[in-house]
Amino acid sequence: MARVGVFVCFCGANIADFVDVNQVVEEVKRIKEVKFATNYKYMCSDPGQQQIRDAIIQYRLTSVVVAACSPRMHEKTFRKALFDAGMNPYLLEIANIREHSSWVHQKDKKAATEKAIDLVRMAVAKSIANEQLHEISVPVTKRALVIGGGIAGIQAALDIADARIPVVLVEKSPSIGGKMAQLDETFPTLDCSQCILTPKMVDVASHPYIELIPYAEVLELEGFVGNYKAKIKKKASYVNFKTCTGCGACWQKCPVKVPNEYNMGIDKRKAIYTPFPQAVPNKPVIDAEHCNMLTKGKCGICAKVCEKGSIDYKMQDEIIEREIGAVVVATGYSLWDPKPYEEYGVGRFKDIITSLEFERMVSANGPTGGVPIRPSDGQVPKNVVFIKCIGSRDEAKGIEYCSKICCMYTTKHTILLHHKVPGSHSYVFYMDIRAAGKGYEEFVKKAQVDTAATYLRGRVSKIYKKGDKLIVRGEDAQIGQVVEVVADLVVLATAVIPNKDNPDLARLLGVSYDKYGYMSEAHPKLRPVETAKAGIFLAGCTQAPKDIPDTVAQASACAAKVCGLFSGDTMKKDPMISSVNNEFCSGCQNCVKVCPYGAIVTEEIPMSRGSKEMRTVAKINEGVCQGCGSCVAVCRSMAISLAGFSDPQIINEIVSI
Amino acid sequence: MITLGLQEKNTLLAEVNKRSGANVLECYQCGKCVSTCPVSQYMDFPPREIMQLIKLGQKETVYMANSTWFCLTCSACSGRCPRQIEIPAVMEAIRHIAIEENYVNNTKKVKSIRKFHNIFLDMIKLYGRSYELRLMAEHNIRTRDLFKDMNLAPVALLKGKIPLLVKPVKSIKAIRRMFKLADKLEKKHQ
Repeated sequence: MARVGVFVCFCGANIADFVDVNQVVEEVKRIKEVKFATNYKYMCSDPGQQQIRDAIIQYRLTSVVVAACSPRMHEKTFRKALFDAGMNPYLLEIANIREHSSWVHQKDKKAATEKAIDLVRMAVAKSIANEQLHEISVPVTKRALVIGGGIAGIQAALDIADARIPVVLVEKSPSIGGKMAQLDETFPTLDCSQCILTPKMVDVASHPYIELIPYAEVLELEGFVGNYKAKIKKKASYVNFKTCTGCGACWQKCPVKVPNEYNMGIDKRKAIYTPFPQAVPNKPVIDAEHCNMLTKGKCGICAKVCEKGSIDYKMQDEIIEREIGAVVVATGYSLWDPKPYEEYGVGRFKDIITSLEFERMVSANGPTGGVPIRPSDGQVPKNVVFIKCIGSRDEAKGIEYCSKICCMYTTKHTILLHHKVPGSHSYVFYMDIRAAGKGYEEFVKKAQVDTAATYLRGRVSKIYKKGDKLIVRGEDAQIGQVVEVVADLVVLATAVIPNKDNPDLARLLGVSYDKYGYMSEAHPKLRPVETAKAGIFLAGCTQAPKDIPDTVAQASACAAKVCGLFSGDTMKKDPMISSVNNEFCSGCQNCVKVCPYGAIVTEEIPMSRGSKEMRTVAKINEGVCQGCGSCVAVCRSMAISLAGFSDPQIINEIVSI
Repeated sequence: MITLGLQEKNTLLAEVNKRSGANVLECYQCGKCVSTCPVSQYMDFPPREIMQLIKLGQKETVYMANSTWFCLTCSACSGRCPRQIEIPAVMEAIRHIAIEENYVNNTKKVKSIRKFHNIFLDMIKLYGRSYELRLMAEHNIRTRDLFKDMNLAPVALLKGKIPLLVKPVKSIKAIRRMFKLADKLEKKHQ
């Protein structure tokens, strides 16, 4: 005879204000299997858990129902309470009377209470059929894959490697460093970006536990947490990195000039190039699209001047495989193209540039030697207008969200302009100044007071040309008047957007992504670096726009998660997975088709004991199965059962109401 | 409409900051001064807007604004300003520059306020203190509004708020010397 205990939680006022918790207890007590029922203000607190532990022993309970919040929130907490009282933790059922009742029926307490009673009644019925389950152990490959070599990937790789866990760091471009390598100084301290980044880049290259694979992409990821297999494409660099010394003779002599991506196309690079002088690895690659030898078969100068004979025009892309246990995705972001701002004359007026172009110009190693210039005539600008929220928070043009970093880097740009061009003046058109961060508000004050940048609250309506000046027209909402600024240069703070291939990569990895294309975290507050797929973590702007401090913090958090995952030789896994009853399996393989994790394979078994004739049945890979239940639904012979959600359990639930 | 970026330097800002000892750039436009000010509702540009106009170098608008004349110098604004800007000092500086540079706001109200200021100074010169009854009378005569606030006079008199007769203070000579010195300094300054 089942003996069920029911514990109803107030959740402070979250449940108790909208559901009559006393009535729930009274109703539930009438069920004959329920031997004990009570309610308490915070069931998840220690006194609450103690009530559960005491009742289990006192009333010799065979299963426990907690009516509280979502199982995503506290299922683990209560399972542990059961375990501590000597009970199998999977004999717990949770009736979610918060998200499913009190929060959604706040206007009707009576109906909410009725619904809560039904939910508890179902959970009680289900729990009667609960069986004891035991966690599964799966082996772990203690090697992490970090995708992306920007500051997020670098930090994650270093932190994981410092714990003596091997890391494979895959970077798409020829050098690690990412967007941070393009920055001049960083807010709010004006630290030189290169000075704080390049030592870390060198650490990555020389770390004994890091395998750096530059100029490569992840093609495939199969397997499951602790046991992934990654297929990585090493793009042909046409340079043998083992023999190349990075002397630079090749790129000095190369006759082909191509717009330099590192400097936002302001100057030119060669077809054989390193992205920037501090690149890691500091070895050149050949840009196959533009190289004369590779496109027309004529030239070969670089091969002639290379003393080491490192140039190999016949080099092919190479596919390599690595076995890994966890993945950190740190692929970063892109910047929005402001072309839709036709009223600003983007594309028509040369003296409208983006913030990253301005950043490259004021950068000490930039194409203009650290001084901003007007692209139209090369003059040094005096009056510079900065316009924030280009694309960001503009639903008509671009994006609903705030890009988070533009307020601060624009503030930095006004200060940099003040430093680099004496007598210059900054005008900043803004909607809000979002300076939430340590030292950020003080930094904005520095720009407004010390460098006398003029802040004008309003979006610019249009920009037109008058002589060689640009007239920027907008409202200053602070005085309610239209303002026109006669500008030499206009800088647009373009929105942060996810990389174009983010959704493809997310699908490849099996993680979800939002409507913009940012990869989704498992929980916005409590699991900010995990994805819904076990063993895959997110760092940096792959997840959402964020600044360097937040990115680094998130990268270190990912490293901590990876280290935690690899802390034992095996990993514990939830036992709530599918199993096949071979007696009933007809071998139709519908389940194989619907399984989103590729966890079902087929096997041949004898028709009957001792028989030589074979038949095909489905087989579940316990390590891979995530317990989604798709196979159960599709199985026409009801041969598959999901532990914790067995047919008797579900039928009990349905019959109970 | 305001056009910016034509001036080499914001001379208005520099002059106001120099004379007031405040730094108008500190203002971050929160508007606490406006909601604190007892007379902001009568101003054409309340203090927050005056601060922004100074930042934008809008001389004419700032000098011609009635706000500086309406300001009571009560210092409620600066007392509550989160950036601790001496707003009354800024208003005072603008009044001075406006007079010096012949920006005269000739609206009825501002004229009357200017007259009040002058009569008040005359009272100080004569008595070394304020002689409210005479001040009221003179102001009402000069502004040709004889019965203005007359209904308040009996109550104020009965409660002893305004004395009937006032004698010059003991140190009246010193005060008059101060006025002479101020005149001299002003001439020298010009």
